[in-house]
Amino acid sequence: MSTHTEHQAQRGPEPLDVNDPRLSRFEIVEEGARRDDIEIVHYEPQVVPGSKAERRLTRTVAAMFLLTGAAATAFLVIYIWWPWKWEAGRGGDKYYTPLLGATLGIALLGIGFGILTWGKKLLPKEVSIQDRHDQPGSPEDRKITGETMLYMADELGVKRRPLLGVSLLAGLVPVGAVVAAPLVGGLISQPHKNNQMFTTGFAPAEGGKRIRLIREDGRPIRPADVSVGGQLTVFPGIEGGVSNKHADSPTLLIHLREDDAQKSRAANARKGHGDYMWGNYVAFSKICTHAGCPASLYEQQTNRLLCPCHQSQFLITDNAKPVFGPANRPLPQLPIEVDEEGFFVARSDYTETIGPDFWERP
Amino acid sequence: MTSDNDRRRGLLARLRGRPVARSRGRRRLGAAVRLAAALMLAGGAYTVFAPGVQAQDNPPLSAAANEGKALFDVSCVTCHGRNAQGVEGRGPSLIGVGSASVEFQVSSGRMPMARQEAQAMRKPPQFTDEQVRQLGQYIQELGGGPQVPQGNNLHENADMAAGGELFRINCSQCHAFGGGGGALSSGKYAPSLRPASDRQIYAAMLSGPQNMPVFGDNQITPEQKADIIAYIQETLKHDQDQGGFNLGRYGPSTEGLAIFLVGIVALVFTSLWIAGKS
Amino acid sequence: MKRRKFDAAALPAKTAGALDDRFQAATPLRKLLNKVFPDHWSFLLGEIALFSFIVLLLTGVFLTFFFEPAMTEVVYDGSYAPLRGTPMSAAYASSLDLSFDVRGGLIMRQMHHWAALLFMASIVVHMLRVFFTGAFRKPRETNWIIGSLLFWVGFLAGFTGYSLPDDGLSGTGLRIASGIILSIPVIGSWVSSSIFGGEFPGTIIISRFFIAHVLLIPGLLVALISVHLGLVFKQKHTQWPGPGRTNENVVGERMFPRYALKQGGFFMVVFGVIALMGGLFQINPIWYFGPYEAWVVSAASQPDWYVMFLDGSTRLMPAWEISIPLGDGYVIPPLFWPTVVLPGILVGLSTMYPFLEARRLKDYKHHNLLQRPRDAPARTAVGAMAVSFYVVLTLSGGNDVIADKFHISLNAMTWAGRIGLLVVPPLAYYVAYRLCLGLQQHDREVLAHGVETGIIKRLPDGRFVEVHQPLTPTDGHDGHGPALDYVGWVVPKKMNRLGALGPAIRGFFYPIEKPAEAPVSPGHPPVEPRPEREEIGSGERR
Repeated sequence: MSTHTEHQAQRGPEPLDVNDPRLSRFEIVEEGARRDDIEIVHYEPQVVPGSKAERRLTRTVAAMFLLTGAAATAFLVIYIWWPWKWEAGRGGDKYYTPLLGATLGIALLGIGFGILTWGKKLLPKEVSIQDRHDQPGSPEDRKITGETMLYMADELGVKRRPLLGVSLLAGLVPVGAVVAAPLVGGLISQPHKNNQMFTTGFAPAEGGKRIRLIREDGRPIRPADVSVGGQLTVFPGIEGGVSNKHADSPTLLIHLREDDAQKSRAANARKGHGDYMWGNYVAFSKICTHAGCPASLYEQQTNRLLCPCHQSQFLITDNAKPVFGPANRPLPQLPIEVDEEGFFVARSDYTETIGPDFWERP
Repeated sequence: MTSDNDRRRGLLARLRGRPVARSRGRRRLGAAVRLAAALMLAGGAYTVFAPGVQAQDNPPLSAAANEGKALFDVSCVTCHGRNAQGVEGRGPSLIGVGSASVEFQVSSGRMPMARQEAQAMRKPPQFTDEQVRQLGQYIQELGGGPQVPQGNNLHENADMAAGGELFRINCSQCHAFGGGGGALSSGKYAPSLRPASDRQIYAAMLSGPQNMPVFGDNQITPEQKADIIAYIQETLKHDQDQGGFNLGRYGPSTEGLAIFLVGIVALVFTSLWIAGKS
Repeated sequence: MKRRKFDAAALPAKTAGALDDRFQAATPLRKLLNKVFPDHWSFLLGEIALFSFIVLLLTGVFLTFFFEPAMTEVVYDGSYAPLRGTPMSAAYASSLDLSFDVRGGLIMRQMHHWAALLFMASIVVHMLRVFFTGAFRKPRETNWIIGSLLFWVGFLAGFTGYSLPDDGLSGTGLRIASGIILSIPVIGSWVSSSIFGGEFPGTIIISRFFIAHVLLIPGLLVALISVHLGLVFKQKHTQWPGPGRTNENVVGERMFPRYALKQGGFFMVVFGVIALMGGLFQINPIWYFGPYEAWVVSAASQPDWYVMFLDGSTRLMPAWEISIPLGDGYVIPPLFWPTVVLPGILVGLSTMYPFLEARRLKDYKHHNLLQRPRDAPARTAVGAMAVSFYVVLTLSGGNDVIADKFHISLNAMTWAGRIGLLVVPPLAYYVAYRLCLGLQQHDREVLAHGVETGIIKRLPDGRFVEVHQPLTPTDGHDGHGPALDYVGWVVPKKMNRLGALGPAIRGFFYPIEKPAEAPVSPGHPPVEPRPEREEIGSGERR
């Protein structure tokens, strides 16, 4: 602060003549700062030129830059010559990415901390004060600008000729709509095409042919394929049934234990779904009624089905009623039976809507 | 990487500890045999006079099964009852669960259970492999049931890619993509697959321990089981991560933690240094 | 004609002159070089976001050369054996190729992802700094709004980018997003089918997300960031109160060279940290997740951390459905509230906060000086409340991982979250408020009575008192000087802050020489030697 007052005392109110040959470069810089309303109030070299401290810092910064060079070279060498192709097990290729990261990181940190040390330790310290000038414009300026803008309106004469304004608006609105139309028109898509939100791949084919339940590899399923206490993800046996084309069709086929099956049958009967089970087998939609994740964490002793996304829990033996978490609707049940050849088929499509809820779900 | 080392170290310790365990086991065995003999005498006398239905159906046990029965009567009978018929409120009947179930539960240390709890935890096993085999043989001969094939390496020449696909359909929902396990309802959980051996995975699929669904041989064929085991052992466990330290493979949760604990902390300290007055 | 002699030394000056002739650059350039920036560590947090955005652009451009934004089905035939022969989308296959068959592709992918996480994290940290110091007050409300928008646009950028590889985990996220869109009353199904081009997942969403992720959203981000920085430049940075600092000036360093050097160096450090993390920490190993299939899911399915609070709110929401018995019946599913309404409220509250606070305090003045959080207890407490709300939601977003790893019941975690969401924020408000008042009081105490010296004195009547070192020369008989006014800046609380211990000896292993005693170059102003320090006594007159 003492330097501050001293400088103020030195400096006259008159702007300096920057062409004065007696002026040092720093004095010209100071004058420039002054013209930008900046006062350099404190300026102090941190190291004495030629001193041990300066040499030490210079060496440190130089070492950092050289480290960068070495690390970058190492990066290139590794990038080109290190064996990088994936191989099973534990080999050199597993260290390719870490080595690249380490060398690149060291290279960048070297140059970063080098620059920072240079700027922080070797440059003189300064404290400058600049005026903010964040006052609003003078009332006079405000008035002039305001009047100018109002005069523009006068020149256009919208007030005197209102028809112009109205017709311009009438012209512009459709133009705006024209801009939006291709975007909206191109993107918009009828959600209820083919009643797609309410049907799945299990809807009986032409002529009422029942759809088989198949596995992910396309094989149909016999009752003996699922052990007691077992679960199997099944799909509709149609073209593209095991694909994301029928993302709402994956179903969980569960073989219940005898006593659980009895509970489940009783629950089914209460709901009027008396014939949805076949033997001790039940099939519920795998798509959670909450947000659409595959709810498939089946606990075979508690008969709970957990969804891993938001932890909704469904009780399989009670019509897959939600018993915990944010889901509000039971998982839809697929009515199943076994056809003449002994394979599982869907008696009909689901009788409830699959997947997350939406406004117009009845 | 570290968990693997631990595992290896654990294995070594177990190997080194084996003679001790065995001798203790043998001592216990001796006592058990004597006890069993006494029990059998008493039991034999009982069966002669009582109109026992079960006892008459039982074919004679093999030598290994007899050894197993002796072990059973010492360590398991409290909860699973005489002749493994179960005790109401304590332990289920083991008739028909097969040696697969015994092998899974006992070799992973889950049985004998320390106390009644929501789910049996993996512990250091209390029985040697030989004893596990004998116990399994006993239960197998009592009521039949699924069995794990012979051998310790059950995934030779299996197809990892096919196993991966099966794993993602059937296993990952509970055991997670990385095989680290996950939470189930009300304190139950699917355990991590990292410490599991080939035989244990195979046995678990066959028997559906605790809340795990059963994946019988009709549903997932023995070849497919081998594929799944190959995927777990080779890809998830043996294969080192390609992109550096895997942060425990918990997914975005630990990644989010890392960006704050490593990234933000490092950069905040840097900015403190940059702006600090020296 | 005589050839003019080439004078290399005069070349820079001549070039500069020629440039100024054409562009009149000298005056504006001088202004730019001279602009003063205040210096404080917390002013560098926003830069982390800016620099990670630059890294995002650099690595992102690299990724676009190899990524194929298509959902056409292909059979994988790359290097990674455990997936060979698996049918998958072209997008997923090309992401695998980026990881296994493009040399150095994996580190680029990982750096891109880490940079994205860092971008969002530093935005949040920067936002907290601005909030708790009151830097959003007039005249900077516009910049606060732009900043909040940047968070949400960054959120979109993150989500679209996260979905692009079309792997099992991100596909599950996309499925949830479609469920969220479906939950919007009246128009939900129309919006969803318009975005996905039919029923979920359709075949076009990846290409749509791609163009949004590489063109539309980055364009918007660049525009918003430019305005954000432009406004900081125009309105000049806020500063902390302190000696010589007023509402009308900026005290700091000129932009060149010191400030610019620091910025450049810091950029390299941010870049370096991202490179280290990108190489050493594996992120989003898509090869374990497999291609997205509607029936495949993993335990512990989570979104990236900045989306996790929405996942958490969804998990905590009770199953309250509103059904409207009109015609066939209509429903508002429970998913709607935590994922559409809650973010809507958050956007509204956060953008409007500067105006709400100004209205409450009837404070419409310009504020260029920051406030210490303790000096605005109500604001700090509101902030603490918001932070704790967000943290409870974020933790709940990972509650299954916590439940599994710490052996807690999953259902108990959900209930803890539900109760915590109601209980913790008010508690945080109260605690923060009391803390602020306590800190304020301590500041005033030190100003009035001085710094605790740790010296205990026994009075003649047997009482023990601690000797305080007043901050002003003493005048009265009780050893107190005139009470100092609090000026909104740090009050020294320890003796060494008053210089009682003398300057530290510099050097790590061995002392290096002391700084200069005298000016060395003629351009430098003279530097005065340090004034001799007086010994500090017990505070009484000697």
